[in-house]
Amino acid sequence: MTRMTRRALGRLAAGATVLAAAPGLSFAQGSNPLRIGYSMSLSGGLAPNGRSSLLAHRIWQEDVNARGGILGRPVELVYYDDQSSPANVPGLYTKLLDVDRVDMVTSSYATVMIAPSMPVVMQRNMCYVTLLGAGVNEAFKYDRYFNMNVTGDDIRANYAKGFLDVAARLPTPPRTIAILAVDNEFAQKAAESARYLSKQRGLRIVYDRSYPPTTVDFTPTLRSIQAARPDLIFIGSYPPDSNGILRAASELRITAQMFGGGMIGPQIAAVQAQLGPILNNLVTWDIYSPEPTMDFPGIRAFQEKYRARAVQEQVDVLGNYLQPYAYAQMQVVEQALNRVGKLDQAALAGDMHASIFNTVVGDIRFGAHGEWAEPRNLLVQFQGIRDGDLEKYKKPGAKVILFPESLKSGELRIPYGAPA
Amino acid sequence: MSDASLPLAPAPAMAAGGRRHLPFWLGAVGVAVLVFVALRAIGNDYGYFAGYFILQYVVLATAWNILGGYAGYVNFGAAGFMAAGAYTAIALRKATGLDLLPGIAAAAVVGALLGLGTGYLTLRLRGVYFSIATLCLAVVLQTLVVNWDYVGGSRGAYIVRPREVAPFTSYGEYLFLVMLLLAVLAVGIARTVEVTRLGRGLQAIRDNERAAEAVGVPTLRLKLVATALCGALMAVAGAPLPYYSGYLNPEGAFSLAYAVNAIAMPLIGGAGTWAGPVIGAVLLGSLQQAATVTISSALNLFIVGWMLVIFVAVAPRGILGWFRRRR
Repeated sequence: MTRMTRRALGRLAAGATVLAAAPGLSFAQGSNPLRIGYSMSLSGGLAPNGRSSLLAHRIWQEDVNARGGILGRPVELVYYDDQSSPANVPGLYTKLLDVDRVDMVTSSYATVMIAPSMPVVMQRNMCYVTLLGAGVNEAFKYDRYFNMNVTGDDIRANYAKGFLDVAARLPTPPRTIAILAVDNEFAQKAAESARYLSKQRGLRIVYDRSYPPTTVDFTPTLRSIQAARPDLIFIGSYPPDSNGILRAASELRITAQMFGGGMIGPQIAAVQAQLGPILNNLVTWDIYSPEPTMDFPGIRAFQEKYRARAVQEQVDVLGNYLQPYAYAQMQVVEQALNRVGKLDQAALAGDMHASIFNTVVGDIRFGAHGEWAEPRNLLVQFQGIRDGDLEKYKKPGAKVILFPESLKSGELRIPYGAPA
Repeated sequence: MSDASLPLAPAPAMAAGGRRHLPFWLGAVGVAVLVFVALRAIGNDYGYFAGYFILQYVVLATAWNILGGYAGYVNFGAAGFMAAGAYTAIALRKATGLDLLPGIAAAAVVGALLGLGTGYLTLRLRGVYFSIATLCLAVVLQTLVVNWDYVGGSRGAYIVRPREVAPFTSYGEYLFLVMLLLAVLAVGIARTVEVTRLGRGLQAIRDNERAAEAVGVPTLRLKLVATALCGALMAVAGAPLPYYSGYLNPEGAFSLAYAVNAIAMPLIGGAGTWAGPVIGAVLLGSLQQAATVTISSALNLFIVGWMLVIFVAVAPRGILGWFRRRR
């Protein structure tokens, strides 16, 4: 039998890929490219965020190659569609590391895609910069894991802090809170944080329920919340249900001093266009807003490039959510490689633990467990929203930052449910 | 059985040779050894992961074939049984710290009991009504898991597996070998069912259940044995899943892909024969894996759908049935 070496298998796979004219791969621009591999959700439920993250990565790749690459080598991105299915992830990372022989690995978007890649990445002792994971490393405790997310190490103590800190400054201090969250990892952590901090601050929880992700009619749920007459309503929801909740709240004319908290969905351009004035005075968690306080070096240039191509690429047209973080994810890899000067995974991890990274989302430092050393959960409020026109979201004033103090760009308007 | 009967590959002649167990087991073990040695010679972990992906479908499709192929009872709940196995392994690990192999054994027991219970409750239903009941089972199980915090609930569960298991070169190799042995075992069990009285009884049920009962075939008992076997093997296919991915959430465990592939693979290979699901699983599994790393898009279920359409039109009895007809 002819013995097939790893290299031969790699060549065979590369040849097959060329023959298949794989649109998902971009090829070397010169000799000996530096290859960064990852899986990305380009289809399935996570595809909207996955596809826009990929565009951000490609913009970074063009930028870095225009500057001469990294370590004198052009950068090549090698990525596969994980189809938003966690079961595909281990095989893809094994292929990236063993067949494609990539030099660095980064992650797809979200916890459910990051977690299945961890055993493979850990087995090969690779340095791993991930995108918007939530507490993944609590289980693995991998010392070469670095997560691009604002939540920090202790989600329970930090996630709902902005919501409750801002609430504490209301003219009439709130006494009661309702908590509603979808049954999934991130929303449950958000609800846990709201629960924990509410108890700490003496707020009475008058409603605390979860709902299955398949829920489509939220009218009965919101009627129950309305009947409890809470001062604050904290919702942990995901895009399809965020729309349903906000539409039901609008139809039922639900009012509360503050409504929102941990809703994922209103950050996305398509949702902003659909919901229009329903978003007015909504207060929710976010990670970026184009306010003067977040005008970090490079962010405008990135967003100009992103928005110029977003329509054609059929991705989120604003790039106001995770896209800057996807770009910054690659900046972290770039800066660490440039500082260390070689592909030494241990040295790269050491550098990432020790250094400050200057990125388009600000200066970042990683803590011991690979999360941001300083959490930066934003609490934003949609203000003066009269229609679904997206132009206003490109400028300051539509999504005002209320928390943290260091980035604050406006004052809270109450109550939720008031006309624009 | 009833109204909804499946196109099946013509049953192989039940010659005396059909009962020769030793040559089959020797051949199966020989093939398994060859596959393992070949992958070890390549020395690439990706081969193990791709192989695992295909072999889990060999087990799943073979399990489905015992009830769906031989007895003609179409089970839409494959993902539910598979997830039951996966979550049994997680619960066992969490409760006792026991690892993969005890997890597989426990999954087999839980899957068999679940299959037995489901069979007892639903086998009075026939045709599409039985199929709908199995679909409901998967939904009920998913709801239970989502609300069972001990195994992670909706958040999912982490399994931090060891990096290596002696004497294997990697955990991927160990997982592959375990799944390879499970596949050999599953196919062997299916073949044993096929060539024994149990299989002939199930085939009689498939052809005409009332007539079978009239001539003395103990239909309920045979069907219960088939559901228990089917459930046990499906759960066994799912037990290594959390160790494979390191993390499992209800959406991943109850994925539609498992249910669709479990039905499509035997139908394409040739339902009602032990070799049909193996051929279907290897063919479809390889195609899906190749599509994932070359065309790189969500073509998996698209491929399955088109293959099903093509086979229903061109070879309604699957690959085996097509070849047998041509002979």
